[in-house]
Amino acid sequence: MVAFMWLIILPLLASPAVYLIGHWGSRQNYPNAGRQAGLIALLATWVPFILAANTFSISGALTLTIGAMSLELDGLALLLAALSLGLGTLVALYSAEYMSADASQEKFYAMLVLLVAIMIGLGCATDLFNLWLWFEAMAVSSYLLVAFYREQPASLEAGVKYLVQSAVGSVFVLLGICVVLAATGTTNLSAIRATSALTPTFMAAGALFIIGFGVKAALVPMHTWLPDAHSQAPSGISAMLSGVVIEAGLIALLRALAALSGMAVSWGVLLIGFGVINLLAGNLLALRQRQVKRLLAYSSLSHVGYMLIGLGVGVYAGQAAGIEGGLFHMLTHGMMKGLAFLSAGALLWALYIRRGQHGALTIDDLNGASRRYPLMAFTLAVAVLALGGLPPLAGFMSKWLIFLAGAQTHNMFIVAVVIFAGLNSVLSLVYYAPIVNALYRKEPSNAVLAGGALPVTILIPILALTGGVILLGFWPSLLSGLVGPASQALLAALGG
Amino acid sequence: MTDTALQIIVIGVLGLVGVGLYGLLAVRNLIKVIVALQIAVKGVLLGLVAAGMASGQPNLGESLAVTVIVADTIVAVVGLALAVQVRRHVGTLDIKALSSLQR
Repeated sequence: MVAFMWLIILPLLASPAVYLIGHWGSRQNYPNAGRQAGLIALLATWVPFILAANTFSISGALTLTIGAMSLELDGLALLLAALSLGLGTLVALYSAEYMSADASQEKFYAMLVLLVAIMIGLGCATDLFNLWLWFEAMAVSSYLLVAFYREQPASLEAGVKYLVQSAVGSVFVLLGICVVLAATGTTNLSAIRATSALTPTFMAAGALFIIGFGVKAALVPMHTWLPDAHSQAPSGISAMLSGVVIEAGLIALLRALAALSGMAVSWGVLLIGFGVINLLAGNLLALRQRQVKRLLAYSSLSHVGYMLIGLGVGVYAGQAAGIEGGLFHMLTHGMMKGLAFLSAGALLWALYIRRGQHGALTIDDLNGASRRYPLMAFTLAVAVLALGGLPPLAGFMSKWLIFLAGAQTHNMFIVAVVIFAGLNSVLSLVYYAPIVNALYRKEPSNAVLAGGALPVTILIPILALTGGVILLGFWPSLLSGLVGPASQALLAALGG
Repeated sequence: MTDTALQIIVIGVLGLVGVGLYGLLAVRNLIKVIVALQIAVKGVLLGLVAAGMASGQPNLGESLAVTVIVADTIVAVVGLALAVQVRRHVGTLDIKALSSLQR
């Protein structure tokens, strides 16, 4: 209870403190103050997180009531908290050197800590309106991070697109809340669930939620902000956006739809439908990309597709296996895509940013990078092969669990979807393989030969994620302590 | 609240949101884009208050509306801050001039 309170309050309060300390430090000729304070704040948050997780494993969901607002740390919230805190800490460490040349980095760390705090809170919301409020706060803190390079017109363009599309999405969510409030007189998720007789009204509200939260979860065709935002943000933030923020949007969508549980079968079909579209659109759009970060951004679309198929199968058939597969893919995608963005970002830093240039890293720039940067070439290759679903790596395991769950339903429609998803996984290798080919089989480009050495603070988070991606491929049960309770929480919310 | 009053309010909500969304599609000036967003949100505010009234929870609807005003102002401030940076570094507020990124 106390640990749960501090899990949310500590990073929320730390964020302005990080800014002030960093600001003071840069005046005192000590520019490292901001980054150290940010890292310490995130590391300190692990203490209440571990205590809260421990209490959760003994006595189940924790609740915290502040005035009229009630927060609940259930399995789903714990999963999101673990993902955002884990990736956030690694990104803070990674960015120490990556962002070192930028002025006002204390703002960067303050916003990063705030983003992590808000995502922990988002998972715990028990009220529809409270969910929207966390969601909006997450959006605002990520706008500023996307447009962090504010002298670059491309970053500003990405920031403006992201802001306008997210704001429209939030208008739709609010309209959905209006509909639910008018029909039920409450915004509490479990109270709404108790009045699930109003089918046509809830259908309309659910459609509004899918459009609204779908913007942040990057459902095609509401995805057009994503490739710009992910490719123009600083690489650490690309990893956070792709690895956690779109997943947080998906969890918000699931929470809202689970409240309208009378329609669970329809939501399942819709999620599967969006999953199929996302898979195909993401893969086809990624095929013609030559910029590495843009390619990875488009591949996020197809990975959201896998999550949606897994979750949709679970919601449609009311079985735990599909939901577990979808949530497990959420975790592994966070690690794989985080690793891919951080590795690509390390090469981008070594080749361009270190020299004050903001060019885009193309696949041709990677030519022969294994000669100059053997470790980065290996980790980037591991990341993209895991994303493509090659067997001994984490991505294969999570896709396999989703396909297996689909096959177990013995429903011809779902089996066809699963076969389609499997074929798409093979198709995705068509754009991942050229990256590995360029890294290992091409002659080094001039840019690579002129690149500088990589500092150890960039290497540590990348190696940690590489270890995780390889380990999870062999022992997927390592995360069952997170995935199991999360799928139970979701199934219980759906009334299964 | 009578049904006629509710119907008028619903038309008002849809009208404001519609004007806002149309504005987003039609205008090219970044400041006007943010104004259009604000109009759409104002429609939603009316909707929240009406929804609270219609379901017999006027306090809830109004408190939600006040919270939305605060949250939405922050979004507008960030949007205008971005507009300032766009004017400074791109030299124009025309969003067509801003689209340099490839598809």
